[in-house]
Amino acid sequence: MSALLEIRGLVKRFGGLNAVDGVDLDVEAGEILSVIGPNGAGKTTLFNVTTGLYPPDGGSIVFDGHNLVGLKPNQVCSLGISRTFQTVRLFPNMTVLENAMVGQHCRTRSGVVGAVLRLPHTRAEEQSVRGRARDALSFFGSRLAGYREDQPAMALSYANRRRLEIARAMATAPKLILLDEPTAGMNPKETEEMISLIGKLREERGFTIVVIEHDMRLVKGVSDRVVALDYGRNIAEGTFEQVSTDVRVIEAYLGKGAVKAG
Amino acid sequence: MTEQSGGSVETAVRPRAAVLAERFPIHRVALVAVAVLVTFGVVTGSWKTIAQGGVSGAGWRTFVVLGIDQGSIYALIALGYSLVYGILLMINFAHGEVFMSGAFASYFVAQSLDSKGLLTRDPIPSLVLLFLTAILVSMSVAILLERVAYRPLRNAPRLVPLITAIGASLFLQYTFSGFFGSDAKGYPSVKALEGTIDVGGFPVSRTQALTIIAAIAMMIGLSLFIARTRTGKAMRAVAEDKEIASLMGININRVVVTTFAIGGVLAGVAGVLFALTFSEVDSFMGFVPGIKAFTAAVLGGIGSVSGAAIGGLILGVAESIGPVLLLTGIHVPATNQLRDVVAFTILVLVLVFRPGGILGTGEPDKA
Amino acid sequence: MIGSELLRRAVRAGLIGGVAIVYLALVGMVEKFEARHLVSDWLNLGKLLLALPPLLAGYLATRPRVESGQLVRPARGPAVTAGLVSGVLTGGVAALWLAFVHLFPPGAVRNIFIAVSPKLLDIMTFGRGLAVGVVLWVVVGAGLGALGAAYRTLPERAGRPLSVGLATTLMLALLQRIIPPLLYNLNLDSTWLYSTSFGGLTPVGAVVVFVVATALPALWMVRGQAVRQRVTQLPPARRRVFDVSRLLLLAVVLAVVPRLLGSALSEVLGEIGVYLLMGLGLNIVVGYAGLLDLGYVAFFATGAYLTALFTGAHLVTSLGAVASPSFILHLDFYPAVPLVILLAAFVGLLIGAPVLRLRGDYLAIVTLGFGEIARVLLTSSWLQKFTGGPQGLRDITDAHIGGVGFRDPQPFYYLVLAFCALAVFVSVRLADSRVGRAWSAMREDELAAEAMGISTVKYKLLAFAMGAAVGCLSGTLFAVQIGSLTPDSFTILVSITALAIVVVGGMGSIRGVLVGTVLLIGLPGVLDEFEEYRLLVYGAALIVVMVLRPQGLIPNIRRMRELQEEEVAQDQWLKEEAPAVTVGGGGAS
Repeated sequence: MSALLEIRGLVKRFGGLNAVDGVDLDVEAGEILSVIGPNGAGKTTLFNVTTGLYPPDGGSIVFDGHNLVGLKPNQVCSLGISRTFQTVRLFPNMTVLENAMVGQHCRTRSGVVGAVLRLPHTRAEEQSVRGRARDALSFFGSRLAGYREDQPAMALSYANRRRLEIARAMATAPKLILLDEPTAGMNPKETEEMISLIGKLREERGFTIVVIEHDMRLVKGVSDRVVALDYGRNIAEGTFEQVSTDVRVIEAYLGKGAVKAG
Repeated sequence: MTEQSGGSVETAVRPRAAVLAERFPIHRVALVAVAVLVTFGVVTGSWKTIAQGGVSGAGWRTFVVLGIDQGSIYALIALGYSLVYGILLMINFAHGEVFMSGAFASYFVAQSLDSKGLLTRDPIPSLVLLFLTAILVSMSVAILLERVAYRPLRNAPRLVPLITAIGASLFLQYTFSGFFGSDAKGYPSVKALEGTIDVGGFPVSRTQALTIIAAIAMMIGLSLFIARTRTGKAMRAVAEDKEIASLMGININRVVVTTFAIGGVLAGVAGVLFALTFSEVDSFMGFVPGIKAFTAAVLGGIGSVSGAAIGGLILGVAESIGPVLLLTGIHVPATNQLRDVVAFTILVLVLVFRPGGILGTGEPDKA
Repeated sequence: MIGSELLRRAVRAGLIGGVAIVYLALVGMVEKFEARHLVSDWLNLGKLLLALPPLLAGYLATRPRVESGQLVRPARGPAVTAGLVSGVLTGGVAALWLAFVHLFPPGAVRNIFIAVSPKLLDIMTFGRGLAVGVVLWVVVGAGLGALGAAYRTLPERAGRPLSVGLATTLMLALLQRIIPPLLYNLNLDSTWLYSTSFGGLTPVGAVVVFVVATALPALWMVRGQAVRQRVTQLPPARRRVFDVSRLLLLAVVLAVVPRLLGSALSEVLGEIGVYLLMGLGLNIVVGYAGLLDLGYVAFFATGAYLTALFTGAHLVTSLGAVASPSFILHLDFYPAVPLVILLAAFVGLLIGAPVLRLRGDYLAIVTLGFGEIARVLLTSSWLQKFTGGPQGLRDITDAHIGGVGFRDPQPFYYLVLAFCALAVFVSVRLADSRVGRAWSAMREDELAAEAMGISTVKYKLLAFAMGAAVGCLSGTLFAVQIGSLTPDSFTILVSITALAIVVVGGMGSIRGVLVGTVLLIGLPGVLDEFEEYRLLVYGAALIVVMVLRPQGLIPNIRRMRELQEEEVAQDQWLKEEAPAVTVGGGGAS
């Protein structure tokens, strides 16, 4: 049986730099995979190319039987992949609820005619959109619910903004969620919470998740499997224990001397 | 699995659309079609015109010189756009009015000199005075613009300074027409600049010669300034990265003001040259040359001095020769009415197909 | 007594005020506006104009500022002193200028600055010659400056009603062309209110208006809260009745207005309507979707010319004969309209397609280019067989409803009203829908919107198409109203006017567009003096709005946050958390 997401030999060049240099990646349905590597290893670029932000310069990406190469980001989203960003990219002046409702865009269809005439189909759809958005928000308990719904997104605290971004991604009803450094800038307690949250995302909602992370506590806490990248190439793959003790990985993070010292 | 695994019907429909889009990229097809049409039109029109021989060799040569002359003026104004855009990433929409204000101010001086006969008796000091007046006024207007309209908006979302610039352009046009009258003022002619010289078979009027030489001189001067002086270096640094430059101790505000001032100087010179060429000024004269100069700046690659020069040259010549060349062959009447269309069409084509300019990378900068 | 910081600001405000007075004089406004009487022959608009800079200088110099995280408002003493200083400077600069001008032989200055006529100088010296004039300037300036500053120190309870009262009095004085006929048509006598000999309010009338207009808001401030409470606490069924009856009332007023105002003013209303439609269309493109379109006139022209060509217009050939254009249909108005709209939407797609990938300012310039190309093509001899060239098209068939033609201003008003209502309806529904959300998201962060499944291509094109449809509708109305078209009506100034309406009124806000249109089109329409300075005022308004209040007069809440995030947030915090602290004029605090 083929994996949910199959990436083979992916290449992406920026000017003279090979940001992604022949990466292979398989993501099985229902698993939580972490992608780690030092800064500049090409992790975010991997996400960007997979979701259609940049066209790849080589290689193939197959998701759920569909070829993703050449698709635009919105098409990738409707196929079932959604993501969060390294620097949170919410819609700052739209309310919390509206941000989540935007997520439902690719699952709904009403257009100008429906909007203007308030056809029953459109009204029902709006109700459903609202409901599903609230449902995504409720995943985070009371933090994004109640009176918070009507607050502009920029008024939220940093951690809540990250949570809202995840809620928005959830609202797109994806099969696969890509989380880019979800705990960047969070304190240990919030990181702990995120670990259980990501687990719940899989257990309760059934999403397949790929996480880019630097915080090894999170990687250890959530991952079924870990893939390590450096200079745009795979350097290791396996469970957290296997990868974290892999010589090449330690070298990539800490330099050649570290192995001998460690 | 989840409450809504992609919505059964919708996802079935969407991927098919996605796949279709993959195979028939309408956007790209349309662009290629337009490119083919334009090339075809240009080639056919030119061929027919030349075949019919409606324009003599001397005629063409006049057009070419005219084109270079106009192009020089465009280049001078274009530099103002380019420099400001390089530093602030904003289009100083009111730069055409900076140009106009210098020309207008020099008109009063020219009138006064002319009434005393000084324009004829002492042309060189008179011209110098005209240029100085224009430079002074244009520079002041530019600096005022920056201080009042643009500086408060340094960190605003990009559309805000543009709208302000449009407002400033309107305001200046109508202020001048309110102060001095909306009628066109006849610019006195300088006897010393009358007459034509023959340059290798090309007829060049003395005014045109002055224009071209002055433009070249100023552009060389500017290049040297930017390359060799401290201020020039500071300007280049700020254009690269404002934040880092300020961390390196460069006073951003001063650099910005200097940039506007330099743009004003160049525009002032262009203003006098324009007035001498067309023998009239009015408060609305800056609008169309302003847009054309912007076109020239983008054509050559905005942010670069040589780009503005090349862009100006190409635009001037294209505008001069273009309508006659392309359209007489296919029997389009009164082609000179359509000169502006050439310029605007080039503007649209460049911005749509190659916003980095012909010397640029071909990819729009994702700033 | 007065801190150095406050003093510095007062000096600055004063000098700028002085420059403003000189500017107003030089650009000709003072003399032109002098003819417009506001209160019999006491106060005319020119004098008011001269009084504004010192007043504003005093008012603005004493603006509360944030110093070390607190809102600091100057105390009365230092404030008035600051006002005096700025007023003196304003008057002083004006006086200096007057003296300077008098140094030259009479008429010499006029050779350059055409507005400096003997009449102007007479006005500026208050009719009493240079010496007295100079002194008066300084004294009156000081007084006005102090007044402006004193106004600042009034408590809100007094200040608010006072400004409403003054503004209302001014407005009624300016509307002297509208209100008397209105009252006349209602069989009410207006001679006590408006002076028939001078055209402005009578002194008695002015006082009455001022008192009433001040008392009402004062009352509202006391009782208004209670009323508003009761309304919000109404049960939903009752609330709906209330809302619906409000709308009905509005509809009745709108329907009855042209009858009351007479046909001359209905013409102005018609013009307002046409521009309102354009504003609403541009509001979709700029306000909702965030695409700065500077070539909006292209859609306007498309609508007008297509309507003409579809309803059988004529052109004048280069030989002077009347002929039919090379392409012509002879439809009636009503069947032609949907066809025109469809074609216009298509043109919108054509214009939108190439600019999709462009960034904000480049997009603006390209659309500007399109607009200009359209204008040149319309004027060209090349396309004269289709467009009529410089002479344009004429004999456009009038539209009718129930036997009444629309060349008559009053029926035209109703036609325009209907179309505007439709446009408003569509805009409101779109704003609060999936489409509106997609536009907002796209406007705030195009990349993120795309990643969340929104096809920016589709929604940008949609915005262009809808904007084009509405814009062309306004062109259609324009063609019908005037009956003939020339390319001179389709310059870039139309695009800029539409932009000014949307920007000044409030980007993305329908009420804002309405207010913007009434202000920017209605006022010049009713007052000829304003008509002459229309574009100057537009330019200044654009600058002022963008620098001071980019969200416009009546903001769309979301846009306001977008454009003024930092300030609004801080403002909110200050108002709620920190009570204003009055300090003695700043200084080293």
